[in-house]
Amino acid sequence: MGGVSKVFFRSWFGNVLRRYYRYVMSRIGITTTVPIEVIYAAGHVPVDLNNVFVSHPDHQELVEEAELAGFPRSFCAWIKGIYGTVKRTCDLAAVVAVTQGDCSNTQALMETLQSEGVEVIPFAYPYERDYELLSMQMDIFMRRLGVEREAADEAMRRLDRVRRKAHRIDKLTWDEGMVSGFENHLYLVSCSDMEGDPDSFEAKLDSFLAEVKTRAQEGAFRPAVDMVRLGYLGVPPIAPGLYDYLESLGARVIYNETQRQFSLPFGTRDMVEKYRLYSYPYSIFYRLEDIKREAKRRCLAGLVHYVQSFCFRQVEDIILRKSLEIPILTVELDHNVRLDARTRMRLENFVSMLRGRADG
Amino acid sequence: MNVFYGVDLGSRYVKVAIDEPGGYRFLGPYDTAEFYRTYVEPAPGGGVLRRESLGLEEEPALAATGYGRARLGGGAVMVPELEAIVEGVKALTGLAEAVILDVGGQDSKVMLMRDGRMADFAANDRCAASSGKFMENMSAALGMSLQEMGEHYRDPVELSSTCAIFGESELVGLMGEGYELDRLAAGVNQAILRRLLPLLSRFDVRTLVLTGGVAYNAALRGLLGERLGLEPAVPEPPDFVAAVGCCSLARRKGE
Repeated sequence: MGGVSKVFFRSWFGNVLRRYYRYVMSRIGITTTVPIEVIYAAGHVPVDLNNVFVSHPDHQELVEEAELAGFPRSFCAWIKGIYGTVKRTCDLAAVVAVTQGDCSNTQALMETLQSEGVEVIPFAYPYERDYELLSMQMDIFMRRLGVEREAADEAMRRLDRVRRKAHRIDKLTWDEGMVSGFENHLYLVSCSDMEGDPDSFEAKLDSFLAEVKTRAQEGAFRPAVDMVRLGYLGVPPIAPGLYDYLESLGARVIYNETQRQFSLPFGTRDMVEKYRLYSYPYSIFYRLEDIKREAKRRCLAGLVHYVQSFCFRQVEDIILRKSLEIPILTVELDHNVRLDARTRMRLENFVSMLRGRADG
Repeated sequence: MNVFYGVDLGSRYVKVAIDEPGGYRFLGPYDTAEFYRTYVEPAPGGGVLRRESLGLEEEPALAATGYGRARLGGGAVMVPELEAIVEGVKALTGLAEAVILDVGGQDSKVMLMRDGRMADFAANDRCAASSGKFMENMSAALGMSLQEMGEHYRDPVELSSTCAIFGESELVGLMGEGYELDRLAAGVNQAILRRLLPLLSRFDVRTLVLTGGVAYNAALRGLLGERLGLEPAVPEPPDFVAAVGCCSLARRKGE
């Protein structure tokens, strides 16, 4: 079968399967954090498509699939990867589209998927974090999935117990230096969908917390003492190798801005308020409040601002630099999962400069 | 022994500096791929420099920097590139306070040197636009040597692209439309300037030091000076600055 007809067959077959699964199974794709309480309360399983894409062994192929379908080469690799992921994941009943609070590229992606037969459920975060408007959005979302507020609240209480364990991992990272930057990234980023199963995800967190204690006692882990304390800003990296490379230079990321937000680190028991406090979908000025507070609390020496090639967030770099007094390194990647020599050079010089400042 | 070696394994060329009692001596620049083939002995965990082929002695300490320095894993002191440039500027100019603009083979960096140390830096975005590679492509398209291209700055033809690839297509198109080569060369220099200014705008430039192979471009030096209202200082030779910095760092480690 030729390349084009293979793609056609997969697309046709995918649509048939998708229609079948819509009534039998219920995995729902998400492209950024949305109230997964509602999805779980409806008896469905959220699937963070970003996580599936980035951990896919052939993730380059997923991007190529989008390019074959006509997505430009000069376009966000996350969007292309998500497109490829949806096309390959035939058991998705629907995909939640964040139509406000994410980028317009996501919107175009959703429209493309919709035109190809994928069911799309819209969700919008109001720009000014208005409580009433967000509450209304939640109601629409719950109605669409046939969920009552009480059931969603109950699901939230269950998920919050798991989130508290992720917060413990975060505290062990910055306060006690017992968790690496990559581990912090991995467990916090996974809070976006709890890997589709809060019980097994909780067991995973429990086992990791136990391991942290044991390896500390055995001296099998390098604590953060004497390491350069870094913060990581922006969307999660497409090349997670960045964390280990920084560790090899003697620097550790002890603050993952967006990933931490995915774990909803807020005390409130009000679901609307929780997603109103969540910073990622709102303005850069609101995000800055969180960044400033955490940079101070965690005594950060420098910040790595990750920007995706062709992403509007590259422009937010201007505001970050104007508003923060702490040294910032901007790192841009497209879809190379390995860190290239130019990025390594920048990271190495940044760490060396920060160390020089500390010594001087 | 009071001799130290510094090697800068850049993306396009490899430069070797020798710090000896009589002053600095320089070897190269060597084409990077050719250098790896001829002077680096492959070995597990990096490679080893074939010192004798370069006429270098075995004992002196050697420091290496640049994109390819991991190729010299065996026995060399590894130095981050920008640190090497700052050290080199200090050694060659005696300055301790300056803004350093390094335009290399595949990227451009600006370093703020305060009290002889790097206090901040900025690097260009992902592509090789306005780097040495861009200039090389443009000079090949124009059939002009790099030196000759560096003589033109008057009446530039506007070039919209500074991409090393798209820029070439644009240039070929403009040549076809009949624009004079001198004006096109001036346009290339203007395009590089436009790309470098945003990098410099983050710093309060009172003293500017220009390093890297592109510093040989007289037109660009003039344009930068005109735009910033100052005369850029150019250490001699500008493309060996990082290699000289490596000598200083090898000396520091050795002592």
